[in-house]
Amino acid sequence: MNGIVSREELSVWIEEVQRADILVGIPSYNNAGTIGHVVQAVQTGLAKYFPDKKAVLVNSDGGSTDGTPEIVRDTVVEDFSSLLLHHRVRPLFKLATPYHGLPGKGSAFRTIFELAAALDVKACAVVDSDLRSITPEWLELLLKPVLSGRFDYVAPLYLRHKYDGTITNSIIYPLTRALYGKQVRQPIGGEFGFSGELARFYLGKDVWESDVARYGIDIWMTTTAVAGGFRVCQSFLGAKIHDPKDPGADLSAMLFQVVGATFDLMDEYAAVWKDIGASEAVPTFGFRYAVGLEPVKVNVERMIDRFNLGVDDLMVIWREFLPGEVADFLVRARSLPFERFRIPDEMWVEIVYGFTLAAHRRVMSREHLLKSLTPLYIGRTASFVLETQDSGAEEVEERIEHLCRIFEEKKRALLDAWAS
Amino acid sequence: MEELFNRLISDPLARTAERILQFLPNLVSAVLLVLAGLAVGLLTKIVLKRIFVVIRLDGLSERVGLKALLAKGGIQEPLSLLLARITGGLVVFVFFLAALNNLEFGIIQNLIERLFIYLPSIFMALVVLVLGYLLGNFLGRAALIAAVNAGVRVSGHVGRGVKLFIYLLSVTMALELLGIGRDTVLLTYSITFAGIVLALAIAFGLGGKDAAREYLEKRLKAQERDDDFHHL
Repeated sequence: MNGIVSREELSVWIEEVQRADILVGIPSYNNAGTIGHVVQAVQTGLAKYFPDKKAVLVNSDGGSTDGTPEIVRDTVVEDFSSLLLHHRVRPLFKLATPYHGLPGKGSAFRTIFELAAALDVKACAVVDSDLRSITPEWLELLLKPVLSGRFDYVAPLYLRHKYDGTITNSIIYPLTRALYGKQVRQPIGGEFGFSGELARFYLGKDVWESDVARYGIDIWMTTTAVAGGFRVCQSFLGAKIHDPKDPGADLSAMLFQVVGATFDLMDEYAAVWKDIGASEAVPTFGFRYAVGLEPVKVNVERMIDRFNLGVDDLMVIWREFLPGEVADFLVRARSLPFERFRIPDEMWVEIVYGFTLAAHRRVMSREHLLKSLTPLYIGRTASFVLETQDSGAEEVEERIEHLCRIFEEKKRALLDAWAS
Repeated sequence: MEELFNRLISDPLARTAERILQFLPNLVSAVLLVLAGLAVGLLTKIVLKRIFVVIRLDGLSERVGLKALLAKGGIQEPLSLLLARITGGLVVFVFFLAALNNLEFGIIQNLIERLFIYLPSIFMALVVLVLGYLLGNFLGRAALIAAVNAGVRVSGHVGRGVKLFIYLLSVTMALELLGIGRDTVLLTYSITFAGIVLALAIAFGLGGKDAAREYLEKRLKAQERDDDFHHL
């Protein structure tokens, strides 16, 4: 706790603000192109939906060199009347500060949690700084369930293209749902609402010098809230459009970080998820509407090619821990013609559970294990694209629901193997 | 005639018999030492194995990742059994050396003396070989996975190449420690780095950077067209 509050400029600012009802955090790193829009949406949302609340906006920056913090400080909504807001608006306290500690989104969030605790806020929201589709309504949807006193954690629910978020759809959502029994559709969404109490709970966890500080904060927050017995809901935010990610971003590194963080949490909360049998829906807020989504380009042939390459060269590794029938299936799938290429749900669940057990038993270097999942994930994604190329959004959601049920059905076997 | 018989037959026989009688106790004690060594070695192995089970050494080796490291090196036995076997074997070996020394053969004693002087180098060379084997497997696997994920068509060769390179390096270093081929390490480094520099020069210098990249992509990687969906 004495981390940032002891910093002089922050202690002066905290002294000035003293207490607040709402804190909105925006972690950033070189987001000068988009953060102005995000700040305006936040400011408008607070003015429109929480005019009587004392609110602060905190930009926790990772050392941007493109003037991101300056944009946060300088951005103001000039004319509220053009937004049809005529009531008196309380001034918004703004702070743009660099975070300290290990470089990463988790450290940025730690600063936000520390300020939330220092200001004794009732509700917090965090939003990404590269968002292009954020609207003032997002603030209402993320904060109101918490301010009402009924919920501690609000996860986002987005409309996404059927091929977007494939790690979420094929691994993270079905796995966390089967394990912890809560149907939180976007557990690594990026935008969250949470209570001041939960912020203090997060802050008290001894993870801020670990990988959570660098990456994996999203799944850590969701899992910690669910496993900690906090009241969880989700809010429909519409489409999520953000700046394109770095095209050179390494998929295997991404899988290693996200899936690795999820597997770590499995070990930590084994005593919690062992006793959970089935999953239940969580309350969902927000008005659902259809959104025109940008088309997505997919090269399935190349994906299958990558899968085949993996089967050719990595089978010797997979055979060390995957069940024999799964390995044999993968060899057969390698020779399937393009149009008949499939990795069925049952087989995919066996693969994912096989990897969770191998990670739990530490059969090999964690990095090798998780990075060797990449060709299988690509193969599964190719199979999903082929299966759903003529499907609409609802049918695709049904397919994901089917996959989730298989994850839940096979959890018993996972438990038995986990204990042995 | 009798004198001749004594000089040619009887005396040498008597001396031989005397030597055999002198040598016999040493031989018997050497045999006894070997037998005792086998018994003590076996006992050491059994006792150590039980101690390791009691202190849960295998659980510890699993937790610190040593079991996985050994498995990566192709060693499937539990650490407790491995250590008990090695210690038992060393006990037998020491008794065997003592037995040989007890025979009081000058050549053997000389060899044993040299062996003991040489022993630290042998031990270090063995350590280097074992570490090289484990490291070779680890880095070979890392290279293989990275190559597959990068879409390199000759990933298997890349992994095997890295593994072989580390093996060769460790063998060379072990030989260096044993005093065999003192200049080999220097030569190995020279040849390897010269090879790498030459390959880079050919790829990026003579052929031109773009041409080399195009060629390599065509040759090594799958035909790519970017996907534009988000994985997370």
